[in-house]
Amino acid sequence: MYGTIDMPDWGDPNSPASIHVSPQYITNAATETATPNLVTAVLADYRGYDTLGETVVIFTAGMACILLLRRRGEGKKTRR
Amino acid sequence: MDFIIAKYNYWIYIILMMVGFYAMIAKTNLIKKIIGMNIFQTAIILFFVSIAYKKGGATLPILTSADAHGEHAIQVAQYLNPLPHVLMLTAIVVSIATLGVALAIAIMMYRKYNTLEEDEILKAIK
Amino acid sequence: MIIEQAPALIVIIVLMSAVATPLIGWLRKDLCYFWVILALLASTLCSVSVLNTVMHEGVIHYSMGGWLPPWGIEYVIDHLNAMMLVLITGTSLLVAIYSRRSLEAELPDRTVYFYTLFLLQVTGFLGIVITGDVFNLFVFLEIASLSGYALIATGEEGAPLAAFRYIILGTIGACFYLLGVGYLYMVTGSLNMADLAKILPGLYGSKVVIVAFAFFMVGIALKMALFPLHMWLPDAYTKAPSAASALIAPLMTKIAVYIMLRIMFTVFRPYFSVDLLPVTKILLYAGIIAIFMGAVMALAQRNFKRMLCYIVIAEVGYMVGGVGIANAVAMKGAILHILNDVVMTLGLFAVAGILAYKMKNNEITAFDNIFKKMPFTMAAFLVVALSVIGVPPTCGFFSKWYLIQGSVIAGNWIFVVALLFSSLVNVVLFFRVIEIGYYDFGVSGSGHTHEDCSAVSEAPLSMLIPTFIVAAAIILIGLYNQSILINIINFAVPKL
Repeated sequence: MYGTIDMPDWGDPNSPASIHVSPQYITNAATETATPNLVTAVLADYRGYDTLGETVVIFTAGMACILLLRRRGEGKKTRR
Repeated sequence: MDFIIAKYNYWIYIILMMVGFYAMIAKTNLIKKIIGMNIFQTAIILFFVSIAYKKGGATLPILTSADAHGEHAIQVAQYLNPLPHVLMLTAIVVSIATLGVALAIAIMMYRKYNTLEEDEILKAIK
Repeated sequence: MIIEQAPALIVIIVLMSAVATPLIGWLRKDLCYFWVILALLASTLCSVSVLNTVMHEGVIHYSMGGWLPPWGIEYVIDHLNAMMLVLITGTSLLVAIYSRRSLEAELPDRTVYFYTLFLLQVTGFLGIVITGDVFNLFVFLEIASLSGYALIATGEEGAPLAAFRYIILGTIGACFYLLGVGYLYMVTGSLNMADLAKILPGLYGSKVVIVAFAFFMVGIALKMALFPLHMWLPDAYTKAPSAASALIAPLMTKIAVYIMLRIMFTVFRPYFSVDLLPVTKILLYAGIIAIFMGAVMALAQRNFKRMLCYIVIAEVGYMVGGVGIANAVAMKGAILHILNDVVMTLGLFAVAGILAYKMKNNEITAFDNIFKKMPFTMAAFLVVALSVIGVPPTCGFFSKWYLIQGSVIAGNWIFVVALLFSSLVNVVLFFRVIEIGYYDFGVSGSGHTHEDCSAVSEAPLSMLIPTFIVAAAIILIGLYNQSILINIINFAVPKL
């Protein structure tokens, strides 16, 4: 709550968040990535590594659920 | 009072976060704790997305066909900031994954102790 | 070409093998173990080569996918990073070798998925340490945390509840970290650590930045188990299966300390963290309280593993207090202590795992006469115990020495008292175990005949060798600590 005093106003197009890194994304994305959807361009291209990490997170959660929820003896029936 | 009105979106997310936080800590039912965790994470995601907004008629960050073919220079102020959206996609996925693992553990405990109240489980362990 | 791509390879090798592990397990279960060791071995080689490169050439910048920062994600490896990378890969390799027997005993039908999550957790740790981008750090922090939650929940009685508590508290910590990232992004527009370090000095007066820093610190403190946010640690590490706690216990908290170091000194310049806010004083007091509390609570424990958990909490207190004193000597001690503590905690939990595997019992009073029965294990245990107490020439002595030296220079006598007190308490703790183990009391359990006693034999070789390597490493690090300091740690200490 203390921090909101200094935050930029809502919807301010000149806030630092919008000025510094993003304009490059917006102007160059069409030429560099050939994708009109900017969110996809950033997600899959510039920050594709984060998307890989995200996929790994899903994989981890899936493996975790299998690890945790398999009942004993069930594995033996479904194998071979 | 001026700063509260100009930035009311931030106050909304703070209230939402406090609700989630309270639910996580104070409730003893496991499912209520999990739901509180989800509310907490959703509040943070909302906060991030609200950073991306630009007043003055900015549209979604999807280039129209005219701009996409490079016919004229793209006006930056016309499109929303795409980066927070991207970050939040990842954060949503992470929160769902955590939700899944938490629920799997809750199922494990339910199978064993047949209850979902934390204090009863503590008594059963001791 | 491999040398150039080594930074990315370190993470990618472990990641891809984690994905491949269920497939291999579906073909033949026994192959998993060797696959895991192979993958970790490759990754260790890569991290050693990265360390070599950093020592000779300086900081490595590696841009992911060829996009230059701050628009793309970049890996920045300096001396601190490189040391941690070698630590993480080495530790996980040793635990992987060690884990086979104990997994067979504790979790016979789930080894394939356990190994998958094991590799995923190592991926998460490596990704945290190597990245130069704050949001990437969050993603990998969550990977590491999620696999940690699942690994802990497969333990004995009461493990799911411990894991559940850890989920709740750990998620709060990670979300606070994410909030900090969000606040910083809001006022700077960048997510790259080096970029933030450039932009932030102009903004230090802003309240948002201060609040962001506070969020970071609280979130990391939760992950670090810094008192008073340590509630999740004793239950979680005690009830986890031995292989899991041997992997998570040495690494997770120290990686959180690493994240704190990065945030405090790389993103926010030292001027901010030390002079502008009284953060270091708070850290110092938190560290002192953690040391006292960890020592006292450890005395009260009858379960061996639980006692070790409180020792871990006290060790975190050493590191945080060392950072809190904030002069160059204490920082050297704190960073050296990260190195030492990983090795020591690995040794302690490895021994605990061997004892649990052989004795099926974790109470200290059941340990009588183990010195005769398991001489090699207890010899390694002695070396680790001496290091925790802080006896030369083991490595523990040297990090404590630098910490004490640093706090004497700073004139902070309370920290010195805390360190010495903790050493004394550690002496008591370990001598209690040694005393029970050395003599044959014959009073544990009812109807405990001599035949039962002699049935406990020496630990299997696959569990013993890693423990020995750890014990040897402790002595080696102690003997060579000067050269480690000069070559690596001196560069890693931030300029204060």
